[in-house]
Amino acid sequence: MQSTAIQAPADSQGGNALVGDPLLTLQNCSLTLNDTHILRNIDLEIRQGEFVSIIGPSGCGKSTTLRLMLELLKPDADDSSGAGKVIFPKVRPRRGMAFQKPVLMPWLTVRGNVELSLSLGPQKTPQSLRRGKAEAALELVGLLAYANYYPKQLSGGMQQRVALARTLAAEPELLLMDEPFGALDEMTRDTLNLELLKLWENRANGLKSIVMVTHSLHEAVSLSDRVVVLSSRPAGIRTIIDVPLPKPRSAGFVSIEETQPYQQTIARLRRELHRED
Amino acid sequence: MRTDVSRRMPLGILKRYDALLYPLVFISLLLVAWEVSVHVFDIPAYMLPAPSDVLDAMDSDLINHTWVTLQETLWGFLIANIAGFFVAVMFVHFRPVELSLFPVAIALKTTPLVALAPLLVVWLGTGMASKIAASALICFFPVLINSVKGLRSIDAESDELFRTYQASRQEIFWKLRLPASLPYVMSALKISSSLAVVGAIVGEFVGANAGLGYVVLVSSYHLDTDIMFSAIFAAAFIGLAFFWILEAIDRHFIFWQQEGAD
Repeated sequence: MQSTAIQAPADSQGGNALVGDPLLTLQNCSLTLNDTHILRNIDLEIRQGEFVSIIGPSGCGKSTTLRLMLELLKPDADDSSGAGKVIFPKVRPRRGMAFQKPVLMPWLTVRGNVELSLSLGPQKTPQSLRRGKAEAALELVGLLAYANYYPKQLSGGMQQRVALARTLAAEPELLLMDEPFGALDEMTRDTLNLELLKLWENRANGLKSIVMVTHSLHEAVSLSDRVVVLSSRPAGIRTIIDVPLPKPRSAGFVSIEETQPYQQTIARLRRELHRED
Repeated sequence: MRTDVSRRMPLGILKRYDALLYPLVFISLLLVAWEVSVHVFDIPAYMLPAPSDVLDAMDSDLINHTWVTLQETLWGFLIANIAGFFVAVMFVHFRPVELSLFPVAIALKTTPLVALAPLLVVWLGTGMASKIAASALICFFPVLINSVKGLRSIDAESDELFRTYQASRQEIFWKLRLPASLPYVMSALKISSSLAVVGAIVGEFVGANAGLGYVVLVSSYHLDTDIMFSAIFAAAFIGLAFFWILEAIDRHFIFWQQEGAD
């Protein structure tokens, strides 16, 4: 079934034949938890090589959408319009999650926390390789010097970087982020967004796609290729907007707000968010 | 809270041992006052023996009795903690176990140990076993409750993080639940360390031929108040030393949080 919501033009980068292939598809996903109807008929395709942001009113079900993608929750099977499905290409992509809070284990060092993602589950990394991978991931976020520190010795921004390193260490193809810098002050947040953008543009550790839930229109527009606007609960997709900003963006990141396409996209998103329907 | 100013003062080095120095000085003064009052007011020794007399009464006999009580305390403590933690793990993983055993645990907690002690002596005899049982029984409940609380103390995000990596139940237990529970378990150990001594001594009151509780009881029959005091001090010392050791272990190993657990 082809979704109506994803008829956006092909990725402007073109080139790589793999880019543009679907990595994960939510097909007609509705979700009811404890008799609360949270999501209705979500059709969303995440393609290789794209950065997608999800925005919407608070509590509408943005995080829940990510949890569907992680298969921590299952879509309703008995929806009137057929069962919801989470569809993958032949194999499930490796998925990594970054939460709003860093969720670090206070009893582990920074290195230990990063190694955690390598030492769990059926696909865990052999013990002998964990240290090297963890340290490489810490290097990516610029915290290798703090490998032996404990989380409580670090600032909030540094803790969030450790969490990002932990996620990256496991070499996710699809990185899911749930307002990852939402709890930080604006300057730290801006710095981390730029770092994230650079990691993304370098396709660090085999990244293929990023889906980020955010409350910030600026974050959504400056970072992503497409912005998904959800309606209030039960959330459906109100619209999906392509961001017409050139890539790569990290070089012009600090002055991106001054460009006309940026301002027009922000204005369009605001209109969509405030639209009554 | 020490300020920076006090650290730079010449007596700074002494300030670091405040917590030790102040009580030591205070207790020494108290002992002197006690010794002097006994002599000045001519208080009879069967009412209140002078500290020097109590010191005289601390002989090798007392050490033997202290050793007996110490063993009972340690065994009771050990058994209660292992059993309490094990049952807590069962509670957290198997709901029916919790549903069926929790009321029993509450009933056990609300039954006064003093009422059970004679029964324990009937069942287990006047030797150490009945005291170990009394000690273990009184420790069990706080250990169980704190361990359950600790094992459940993990937040939703940590749980999701582990599930994101498809961690097995074993991995979630060893790498998340267990370490997260340690601050709570440590509080349980501290609480039960004092209770363990109480349990052992109550057991000895009821029927024993050795131990500090036995010494207290027998010396009260003969009005050997100095001996009684020596035994009371020995019992207090066991509890205190035990608590201090656990406190030191807590500070050293559970460095990541002191708050949250009680």
